[in-house]
Amino acid sequence: MYVLEARNLVKTFDGIRAVNDVSFAVPEGSVFGLIGRNGAGKTTTIRMMMNIYLPDSGEVVLQGSKIGHEFRAMVGYLPEERGLYQKMKIIDTLLYFAELKGKTGKQIIKKANEYLERFQLIDRKNSKLEDLSKGNQQKIQFITTILHDPEFIILDEPFSGLDPINIDILREIIMELKQKGKVIIFSTHLMDFAEKMCDHITMIDKGKVILNGSLKDIKAKYEQNNISINYQGDISFIKNNPMIEHFEDFGNSAGIRVKNASQIQELLKLLLEKNITIRKFNANEISLQEIFVELAGSNGVNNFYQEVRHA
Amino acid sequence: MLNKRTLAVLKRELREKLLSRTFILMTVLIPVFLFGILGIQTYLYSAGSDEKAKIEIISGSQQITGALQKTLSQMKDVKNNKLKIEFSTQTKAQFTQTLNSLKGNILSEKLTGVFYIPDSAVNNKSVEYYSKNPNNNSLFNKLKDPINKALVDIHFTDMKLSEAEINFARSSVDINSFRVSKDQKIKEEGAGNSIVAFLFTFLLYFSLLFLGTMMMRSVVQEKNNRIVEVLLSSVNSSELMTGKILGVGITGLMQMAIWLIPLMVVISSSFFMIPNEYMPDMNFAQVIYFLLNYFVGLITFLGLFASVGAIFDNDQDAQSGVWPITLLIMIPFFIGISMVSNPENQIAKIASMLPFASIIVMPARLVLVEIPTWQMVVSIIVTLGTMIAIFPVAGKIYRVGVLRTGKKPQWSEVIKWISYKY
Repeated sequence: MYVLEARNLVKTFDGIRAVNDVSFAVPEGSVFGLIGRNGAGKTTTIRMMMNIYLPDSGEVVLQGSKIGHEFRAMVGYLPEERGLYQKMKIIDTLLYFAELKGKTGKQIIKKANEYLERFQLIDRKNSKLEDLSKGNQQKIQFITTILHDPEFIILDEPFSGLDPINIDILREIIMELKQKGKVIIFSTHLMDFAEKMCDHITMIDKGKVILNGSLKDIKAKYEQNNISINYQGDISFIKNNPMIEHFEDFGNSAGIRVKNASQIQELLKLLLEKNITIRKFNANEISLQEIFVELAGSNGVNNFYQEVRHA
Repeated sequence: MLNKRTLAVLKRELREKLLSRTFILMTVLIPVFLFGILGIQTYLYSAGSDEKAKIEIISGSQQITGALQKTLSQMKDVKNNKLKIEFSTQTKAQFTQTLNSLKGNILSEKLTGVFYIPDSAVNNKSVEYYSKNPNNNSLFNKLKDPINKALVDIHFTDMKLSEAEINFARSSVDINSFRVSKDQKIKEEGAGNSIVAFLFTFLLYFSLLFLGTMMMRSVVQEKNNRIVEVLLSSVNSSELMTGKILGVGITGLMQMAIWLIPLMVVISSSFFMIPNEYMPDMNFAQVIYFLLNYFVGLITFLGLFASVGAIFDNDQDAQSGVWPITLLIMIPFFIGISMVSNPENQIAKIASMLPFASIIVMPARLVLVEIPTWQMVVSIIVTLGTMIAIFPVAGKIYRVGVLRTGKKPQWSEVIKWISYKY
């Protein structure tokens, strides 16, 4: 079942269509990735989902009805550009942002302390934000996002600017939230992360959706059936096998294409049964990056790779 | 609009502003500063008369010299040696020579100045004064009357007038000012109301500018630190703006109330022996009006300052972009101050009923002159109307502006924002 839907969102800034007829649906209990290069329209889309921008046309629908104010209280939002009051005490900051979501009282204080404990910041709770390192400030920002126990967690480029250790902590928490049945939506231009973490993705480029669906289906659709092997023995027998579409033998290595991706395992089994020594078996599953390359075209690709390298 | 979220923002603003060092410092320093100004003025005025001076009075005839010697020696300053006067009698030609020889002394300030009182002065009271500082009012004020008296005496000597008649001629006009008000009571007017009018105008000017700038900086800071996007995921922009403005507004109201406590104590009790001359003639209703008017005005200007803050993303740009708003405070301030010397000027009358200016000019006018009811009503309607009118526009600019980053926008773009759908 879909809990949150974007329907035909359009947003124009100064004559430029930042978001052009974007539609997608976020299924219950999923980790949903909004993927695309910088400037593709991810942040604008997310801001429309957060009701920060009003769309020129289109709507965001929550369980069948258009989102309103109550949605804000159900969401934890971590914007791409982060910021907190530098002169405010950590504990005050956490309680203030929870209060804005309508959560006050002992329960929240207790929870704030628990999170601080977990992030090993409990002894700094009365320090000012400005006295923390940047990484620790990010942790505080993340706690403000989830402290009020939201049903939806929207993270805009959550991994940007994090060191590997913090990335791990964040990933761990995202997975934990998923276990609790929360819906997690994040945007990223890092295909690698999306591929590892998401159940569903929507890929946008130049304000338009270019790919949409569950990661499994998408992969199946774009899967390549190429296999390269290094071997020892005689493999000429597979030439006439019905599952083989194409076969090229180079003596020690061979390139094989099966008709169907599901036949890859079958092929491996067959080779082993015939006592062929396999040194290397490479069934190259297609990566999201490659799918993106295929869809966005070469012009997009060059820029995209540059960004990936810089990231 | 005043819901839990707005209140949360309001509370945070209040806590941050009320406990800030700047707020506490300003609350204490402004009265000190104001009394300082009054004190310095008084000091400078009296300091001029404290200086020792040496002058020469040269007159065209023996008779004048004699009369002057007689009247001037009665002066307090002369008796206690603060003012030394040398008398001599010379013709105009002789005087020109003497003046040349005294030039050195005048320039080196050994001699404060030289008066020349020609024979003709007995009929036309025209005398000459030569000095390095020829506009020494505090000296003139002291010497005017005795010289006048001597000249009058000589003028009337041959006319066989009675002593009483001469005394009348000797005295200068004594102006006593009375305030005419509707309730037909005519009261003697002191300097008290002028001081209060000045005080009101100055406090309004200072406070609007100070808190406005504070507001602007706070918006710029939130925009600059990107906190605003986190905030906007929880509250909408009008809740945020309302909370912030009310927070600073209440802070300002409390500050102003603290500043006005001395005034309220003075007008409500006779415990402080304020000389009648300085006792302001006003009532509590006027103070309450002042505070309410201030609050409405403050809210109005905070809205304007907040929207300017939202346009820019750093303090420098905001400071240089805020001048149109600053002018809306400065010009009425000068009009208000001008009223202290002439309360009935037409510009002030009109300004007290114009948008923005009404906030600053009307309180001072109210203290200085009797205001027809209709003008009062117009002023209040204009003040409230201004507030109501600016908020849809300021709110829109704020909403569009706070999420804008990058290039500094042109004014023409800002005007376009107003029609944006956001």
